[in-house]
Amino acid sequence: MNEPLKGETMIEVSHLNKRYGHLRAVNDVSFQVRKGEIVGFLGPNGAGKSTVLKIMTCFLPPTSGTVRIGGLDVGDHPLEVRKKFGYLPESAPLYLDMTAYDYLKYVGSLRGLSGKKLEQRTQQVAGSVGITKVLGQVTGTLSKGYRQRVCLAQALIHDPEFLILDEPTVGLDPNQVVEIRSLIKELGKDRTVILSTHILPEVLATCDRIIIIHKGRIVADGTARELERKVASSATVIVRFKKTDTAGSQADLKARLEAVLSAASAEGTVTPRSTPDADEWEFKVSVSGEKDLRPAILQAFARESWPLLEVRRDVLDIEGLFRTLTQE
Amino acid sequence: MGNIWTIARKEFVSYFTSPVAYVAITVLFVVVGLKFFVVDDFFVTRRADLRSFFELLPYFFVFYLPAIAMRLVAEEKRQGTFELLATLPVADRDVILGKYLGAVGFLVVTLLATLPYPLLVSFLGDPDPGTIYGGYLGLLFVGLVFLAFSVMASTWTGSQIVAYIIGSMLSALFFLLDLLMGIFGEATRKIAEYASVQAHFASFSKGVIDTRDIVFFVSLVALALTLATFSLNRRRWN
Repeated sequence: MNEPLKGETMIEVSHLNKRYGHLRAVNDVSFQVRKGEIVGFLGPNGAGKSTVLKIMTCFLPPTSGTVRIGGLDVGDHPLEVRKKFGYLPESAPLYLDMTAYDYLKYVGSLRGLSGKKLEQRTQQVAGSVGITKVLGQVTGTLSKGYRQRVCLAQALIHDPEFLILDEPTVGLDPNQVVEIRSLIKELGKDRTVILSTHILPEVLATCDRIIIIHKGRIVADGTARELERKVASSATVIVRFKKTDTAGSQADLKARLEAVLSAASAEGTVTPRSTPDADEWEFKVSVSGEKDLRPAILQAFARESWPLLEVRRDVLDIEGLFRTLTQE
Repeated sequence: MGNIWTIARKEFVSYFTSPVAYVAITVLFVVVGLKFFVVDDFFVTRRADLRSFFELLPYFFVFYLPAIAMRLVAEEKRQGTFELLATLPVADRDVILGKYLGAVGFLVVTLLATLPYPLLVSFLGDPDPGTIYGGYLGLLFVGLVFLAFSVMASTWTGSQIVAYIIGSMLSALFFLLDLLMGIFGEATRKIAEYASVQAHFASFSKGVIDTRDIVFFVSLVALALTLATFSLNRRRWN
């Protein structure tokens, strides 16, 4: 479960604070990103994700603390630092009266490209985000999904070392979300990517590492597995039965499961859960410690004639973690 | 330098991709034409004189140029494109200069569009060419000042309307400063006369090109654009 060892530190954020008047938007945030990582910044709306990204992109100054990108402080070398990254801001801003092609060329030339190279990169990024067909269209006439992609293309035009993507899939339909996510994964193969989102499956689908931020503070930082183990001081097993005449009542089943628990000398709780199917019963068996109860349960019920439908370990309970960490 | 040019060209072109440019130039043409032919009755008085033409245009510019420049920064702020522009490796100074020059390009187009009037007068009579050249140079400088004020106003807000009002007010204030200050007596009038755009424009339109007037206009432009750059930069302060 060690994450693969990647390159040197690309981004170093230390003790970052940002106040807006009395509001403390970012509170002592520190983290590092190594070359080649895809890091997901996860948090509910208003957690301070965008503010951190805006400070990293030299758009806003921090109240205190430092951000170093490729060894350069963003406050001292804003122009140098800005050359290194591509940035997709939260609202995917475009000049709505320009064609996608002109827009990309405009950003490209402000990125220092010109002539043949600019033309070549424009076509290349348009191809890689799938907007070649709409290049000649005025961006104001494009759908939300295409606008998002045009803006993503803009972030890639100078083939940056790393990418900062603020809510890259917001407002897209499910198919587009899948496309953009796989594109991000593809891009992350040879770049460092930081993306922010409030959608948990998004980070699970795309990121090597998750940083959970809440009320301006980092509340968790690690790979999905690491975070899961952090919460999973208890192993959870979901057991599902079919209701039949011989099965007895729900209370009987609960008692049986508790008996299995005590037979295995494990401490834990059995809680009934609601199921979508009216003719099924489901229980959540939580046990403290790492002990896997599945064999014990299977054995116990194999001897009876109760129709056991499913015994599964509730693995990825990051959703739970996310809720625990971000509720107050 | 490359960035300034890129931004200037984009701003200039975008005037013509929307109806703004065509509407603005049509309005200009109509207003000037009305004054020229209807109010002044050019064909009745039969004077080959462009004085009223050069008197009118600066007043017209007070309302016209802020409308040209109001969107330059304010609209980027409102649309959120400013966040992108500000995170590109482009200095704030270059952003301001580029946008300003884009608008100046439009000012030049505007001035070219008024050429039929002096041409008509020259064709029908024999006006003093000195006053025409001087008048146009003066108009250009007055326009440069008003545009600089308006770009500055545009950096102060995310609303084009607010930018327009501030731009117009500043332009009007500086244009009429000597008239306004005149009510406070002789001493202030003298000072105000130096700071008044109209006073400096007046000598141009008489065909007198004085470096002191040019220095005055250029300093006002430099001041306004420096303040505009400052205002963009301000968000990077704590």
